[in-house]
Formats: sequence, C-alpha cells, structure tokens
Amino acid sequence: MSLFKWIDDRTGIAGLTKEALFERVPGGARWRYVWGSTLTFAIMVQFITGVFLWMAYSPSATSAWESVYYIQYEMSFGWLLRGIHHWTAQIMVILLVLHLVQVVIDCAYRAPREFNFWFGVLLLFLTLGISLTGYLLPWDQKGFWATRVATELMEATPAIGPELQRVVVGGSDYGHHTLTRFFALHAGVLPGALVLLIVVHIYLFRRHGITEAKPATRAGALYYWCGGAVISGTLTVVAFVFGWGEEKPWAPWVIALVFAAVVGRVAFLFRNGSDDDSARRPRRKDGMFWPDQILRDAIACFAVMAAVLFFVFWKGTELTPPANPAESYDAARPDWYFMSLFYMLKLPPFQGAVGLVLGAIIVPGILATLVFLMPLIGKHKVGHWINVVGLYLLIGGFVVLTALAFNYDARDEKYRQGVAAAHEEAARVKELIVENGGIPPEGALSLLYSDPKTQGPKLFAANCASCHPYGGHDGTGKALSDEPSAPDLEGVGGFDWIAGLLTLEHYQSERYFGNTAFKDGDMAEALEELELTEDDVRAAAAALASEGAPRVGAGTGDQAQIDTGFALMGEDELACTDCHKIKGEGGKKGPDLTGYMSRQWMIDFIGNPAHTRFYGDDNDRMPNFLDAEGPDGEVEAGKLDLERVGLIVDWLRGEWPGAGRAAAE
Amino acid sequence: MSEQGDQPAADDAGDDQATAADAGADKATAADAGVGDEQRREFMAKAASFAFGGIIVAIPAGAGLATLLSPLSAPGQKGLKRRLASVSDLPEDGTPVRYDVVSERKDAWTRYPKKAVGSVWLRRLPDGGVLAFNTSCPHLGCAVGYEKGIDKFSCPCHMSVFGLDGERLGESVSPRGMDSLEVDQEKLQDGEVWVTFMNFRTKIGDKVPV
Repeated sequence: MSLFKWIDDRTGIAGLTKEALFERVPGGARWRYVWGSTLTFAIMVQFITGVFLWMAYSPSATSAWESVYYIQYEMSFGWLLRGIHHWTAQIMVILLVLHLVQVVIDCAYRAPREFNFWFGVLLLFLTLGISLTGYLLPWDQKGFWATRVATELMEATPAIGPELQRVVVGGSDYGHHTLTRFFALHAGVLPGALVLLIVVHIYLFRRHGITEAKPATRAGALYYWCGGAVISGTLTVVAFVFGWGEEKPWAPWVIALVFAAVVGRVAFLFRNGSDDDSARRPRRKDGMFWPDQILRDAIACFAVMAAVLFFVFWKGTELTPPANPAESYDAARPDWYFMSLFYMLKLPPFQGAVGLVLGAIIVPGILATLVFLMPLIGKHKVGHWINVVGLYLLIGGFVVLTALAFNYDARDEKYRQGVAAAHEEAARVKELIVENGGIPPEGALSLLYSDPKTQGPKLFAANCASCHPYGGHDGTGKALSDEPSAPDLEGVGGFDWIAGLLTLEHYQSERYFGNTAFKDGDMAEALEELELTEDDVRAAAAALASEGAPRVGAGTGDQAQIDTGFALMGEDELACTDCHKIKGEGGKKGPDLTGYMSRQWMIDFIGNPAHTRFYGDDNDRMPNFLDAEGPDGEVEAGKLDLERVGLIVDWLRGEWPGAGRAAAE
Repeated sequence: MSEQGDQPAADDAGDDQATAADAGADKATAADAGVGDEQRREFMAKAASFAFGGIIVAIPAGAGLATLLSPLSAPGQKGLKRRLASVSDLPEDGTPVRYDVVSERKDAWTRYPKKAVGSVWLRRLPDGGVLAFNTSCPHLGCAVGYEKGIDKFSCPCHMSVFGLDGERLGESVSPRGMDSLEVDQEKLQDGEVWVTFMNFRTKIGDKVPV
C-alpha cells in the first residue's frame, strides 16, 4: 500500500483512475451507450494484434506476401492473430456506423458537443484510411489490384491528381516503395493521428458527460425502429428483386419476416406509445460508470470478440495469390464497405472523366460535408429530424448500393471465374512452397511462373488453343473461340491417346486428324490396309507410350506387352518402320518415333514440326514455336522460348511439382 | 452540461460506500434493495467486468504472444556434416587454411540456394590428424583470423589471441578457447576431411550449441 501511495504522491494516479472510473451516468447505465466503448476496444485490439503482426511482417514486393504467408501458415497461432486483426477491421466499420447513428439519434452532437462530433467524423475517415492502406499490405492479387483502382481514382483529383498518385505510389510503378509508404501510413502516421484524435475525443466526451438517452418515449424509440425498418425494407426489396433465393429459397423470406416484425413494432409504437410514458417507466436513477456501465461495455466488447472469432473460424482469413502485375485479376474488388462507392462509379451519371470526378470525389465530398454540418443543422427539432432522415437515407443508399454491387458480382461469370481461379492458384502456390521446402529469394511469384500446372493451361490457351482443343476446352476450362482444326491434346502420348490414334475411326475423327490434311494421308491408308486387331493396337500403344515414359502417374503397361508391341511394329509384322524411325531404326517418311512424346521429343516437335525428323514438307499449318531454320535456310523466329514450350510440354505430360504425390494418393 | 443539477456530482461519489449510500438514499427506485444487496450486486458487477475484460484482452494478446514466442518451439540446429577438403589439400607444416561451409539455408519463409553459412579453420597435425575450428570468436562472434607473422589466431574485434591449438593466450577477453568441431576420423583415414559444422553460444565459458 505504501508503494502505491509513494507512486500516487508523485503521479496522482489514484485521482486519475477515480476520475476515469467514477463518472456519473445520468439516467443509469444503458446498453445503447456501449458503442463508443466497443469502438475503443476494437481499436485497442487492432493496436495489440497490429504490433504483433508488425514483428513478423516485411514490407517489400518480394517479401510482403511471403511474410504474411509465413504468419498465416507457419507461425504458431499466426492464423488466429491475423484473423483477429482482419475481422476486427471489418466489424469496426459496422461499429462506427452504429456509434454515429446512436450519437445522431440522441442529439449528442448538440451544443456543447459539436467539436466532439467533428472529431468523431474525422476519426471515421481516419479509420477508413487505415483500412484502405492495410488492404494492400499482404501484397496479394486482391489487395494489389484493388489498390491500383484506389490510386487510379486518386489521379482524378483536380489539379494535383497525377502528382498525388505518384507520391502515394512511390513512383510511376507499384513496388517496394508503394508498400513501405502504405505500411508507414497504416502502422505509423494514421494510427498516430488516430490516437491523438481519440484522446481529444474522449477528453471532450468526459468534459461534457454522456448525453442522456431520452426516456422510453415514442419519439426516442421510433428513431431506432424506423432506422431498422429502412434497412430491413431495402434489403427485402433487393432480395426479392434480385432473386437471392435461387440457392436458398428461404433467405428473402427471412429478411422479409424481420422487416415485417420491425414494421409491426413501429406501428405499435405509433398507436400505443405515449409521448411521455414516464408514469409507466419512471426516469431511472443515475448510475456510475464503474461498474454498471463498464460491465455492459465489457459484455458488448465480449460479443464483438465473439463475432470476430466466429468469422475467423467460419470464413478463415483469405490470402489470395501473390500480386502479379502482369496478370490482371478479374475478381479485383475493394473491401466490402467500399463496394457501394465502387458500384456507384459503374452507374451512367458517373461515366467518363467528369463523371469519375463527380462520383469519386464530389459526391462523397458533399455527403461528408453534410455529415460534418449535422450539429449546425440539428440545432432545432426540424433540423434534427432532417439529420436523422438524412442519415437513414445515407445508410439505406449504402446498403442498396452494396447489395447491388454484390448482386452484380454474383451474376458476373467473369468475376466468378476470377474468384475460382484465384482460390485454385492460392492453393497451388501453397503446394509449391511445401514441395520446394520454402520460398525462393525472388519471391513466391517465381514459383508460380515456373510451375507447369499453373502456366501450362494459360500458355496453351494463348498459343495452342486456336487450333488444338484440350479435352474440348481451351486448357483453362473456357470454351474454344475457334473451331478446332487439330488433334485434341488431353492425355497426349498416353496409352489411351495413342490407342485412339491407331484406330482408323478415331484417327479420322475430329479428336485426332479429322480437320487436317492427314485425314486421308498415308497414315490413314496404312491403318485402313493393316486392319489392326484390338490386341495389336494395345500392344503398339503400350510400346509407343513407353517411349515417352517416365510419365508421372500414367502406368506404362507391363514389359511383355511393350516388347510385343515393338516386335509388332518391326519390319517383319506391321512394318511401321517402313515410314517411321523406331528406336533409331527405320524410314524417314513419317515422324521419327524414337522417344515418341518424351519431353525432349515434344519440345523439338513444337519447336519445329516441319523439321525432317517430324512432318518435313508434309507439315500442315503448324508453325515453329522456337527459332528454326526455314526451307530457304533463313532463321524464322518462333513465337515462344524454350522455357515456355517446356512449361506447356510438362503440363501436357502431367509432370509438375507434386504430381507424383497426387497420383500416388 | 448535465441537465440534472440537483444530482450529486461525480467526484463526490468517490468510493464504493458513497455509491451504496447514494443508492440507498434514492428510495424511489430502490426502496426494497438493502445496502447489503446493493453491495453484493455491485461486487458481482465488478467481478463480471474483470472477467469479461480479462478474456477479451487475453484473446488478442494471447494470439500475439503465441506467435511472437513461436521461435522458442522451433527445432534447434543439428549440425551440418560437410566434406571440406582432402587431407592433401592442407599444408603439411600445419598452417591453418580457411574453408567455407556451404549449405542450403532457410530463413523464415525464404529458402536460399546453397551458399556459405559459416567457415572453418582446418589445420593438419604432424600425426596425420586434422584440427577444425569454427572461425567465429566465442567472445562476440567476430571472424577469427590467422596472423601469419606471429603464427597465431587472433580476433580483430577485441584482440583475443588463440594458439594454433585453439587455446586462449595472454589477456584475451574471450571466455573460452576457439570452438573445435568434430572431424570424422573414419573418413580421415581415407584422406577426406568431413567436419560437423555448428555454432555455439557466445560470451559464456562453456561450449554450448546454439
């Protein structure tokens, strides 16, 4: 005790604590006073988790995503830490709105509390700024592309736009300095300003005391319930108009039921509430901040934490693939609370350069100014009503636009594919990191760039799919843009694929050479003459498939069958060797089948199919994809390089990191 | 300013008893609530506040601490066994030669391709044996060099001097001699120098692996 006294004598801590805790709460503790405390709590959680995340985060273009990956998947409880930080940020936006609503309804902005209200509005914008800058920090596709949009909007600022953008981005391109700047803003400048403003905000709050909520009169309650009716009503309309019930038919009806209940409550209050029911519910005695209000605050904060944890466990905390400036991201969206603004910019009045300034700067600016002016507008009863209705309209508009935005996305095929592709790629990069035993110093993106499973389909779609289908699609699962004019390459070089090739009926079908000059060529004639039995086809296919081996995950058949196959193709039997070289021996008319469909064979083939080793002069339209000498002795440039051809080949052959393990399972 | 000027000011109700007395005096609403009940209720409210408050702060702080302290549960080093040289590469007169230990290294998320992780002084003994020392100084980890002129090891940072057998000489501040490393004797018979490389804690008298 004497130690405490010693400290108290020198710091006055006892008096401070007393003052902090023994604040009088006029009219007693109430649940509706908790919003400010929950916000303070949320900010405190963000400071705690933020500082711990800071200890593991590395802001640079080659380490930001990687360090977040490490936090999320390798550090013990990192997923929980990041999850709490992420979801608290989401819930904080809702708490901000609730706090604002409560302040406006209770006239807490009236004299002498105007300044406190203004500081609160500044805090709201600061918080949104912190959210915006934090969104980029994982340096994943989502944050990267969303931030590009945000900074492009910045460019629309009159007069100083381009310069402003350049300063914020840290150059003309997005990179290390974009991250270091955003990180300094997110973890230093803005939180510093936030703390200062909160101190002033709470000081002013304590100076003026709590604004006592009106006793439970009709007017006081109607404000709340009408607000609920506006939100649930707009949601109901949106739900039915856009058919949210397609997958869950009950969903719109549940929302409608809530709306009906709220309307019922409003009607009841309107008919039966009295303007002054203090006879029925006498004004309560004053309570004390500690412990009456603090207990309510603590329980509300507990509920906030429970909601945060619920989302952490239910939804997890997303980390989309590493930012890739070269690959646009169809699912780039801002955080949900900016979706309304994002959607608004798609509407006709906000098209074009002038519209953009209007939608991104002028309209939000006017709305912010109106909110700012609320204490002045709300001096009298009518003004207060205008404020409440205006705020409800603003929230209603926010809800409608947000709902429209999500609704638009839910029906946007391109967006859905983008999300699905991002999920797949995020899972794949995780696999690659595990296979590689870590991330190369160049960053995780390099793993994706050198991964056949990821790059193969994209390269195939861009370079091959104008002629070749892959399982009927373009390799990435999208429909072909042109009629196929060359063999389908799914499973190419495998037993089944070769067996199909050796069957005349299939050979001449669209799946193989039906659309090429080879349809009625020498090979077709040979197949017609030879009249292979099923066993012949199987043996030959097994032998040829073994040439391309080892192929991950595709069995090559038993050795006896392979030997039979090679014997069968020799000159004593089917005499394939009259035209083809097999194991280095044979004719030169058809493609050399030595090492048929092996990695090197395919690279050489794609590199230059008109080489004498392959089709020679018979080549039908297929270009050389690597630099090759043309018939006139001049080098013709290929469209691709060796690395990319290798990626396509490895993908077609099913050879990529982790493929063996997947096949074994 | 509050509109209820007739209520007692907050500062007057400084402690529990005053609060309870206030509550007792307000007969209009708490007519049947005795002082004892009120105190019990208030105690419960305080206890519950502490409980809820403690839990909600412990969750984020706990997650943070668990993450922060995760290095403590990471496995320690086992030592890297590497072939550094052939015995014939080492000078017969016992002059020490420095070799880098090359290894793949993982630093948090990054996996570096093979590169030097440390270095070793190797010295051939007249009896055919080989001595190996970690080059880092047991004092504060600077790289110990070989001084040709005096034919001794010395650390450039705080001038510790070690004999060619690794023992401290003179007024060296190093708490112990240079850290010897294990040389595989069987491989040595075949003329190959294989050393198990590891680092040791600095500043203490005993040789303890990091």
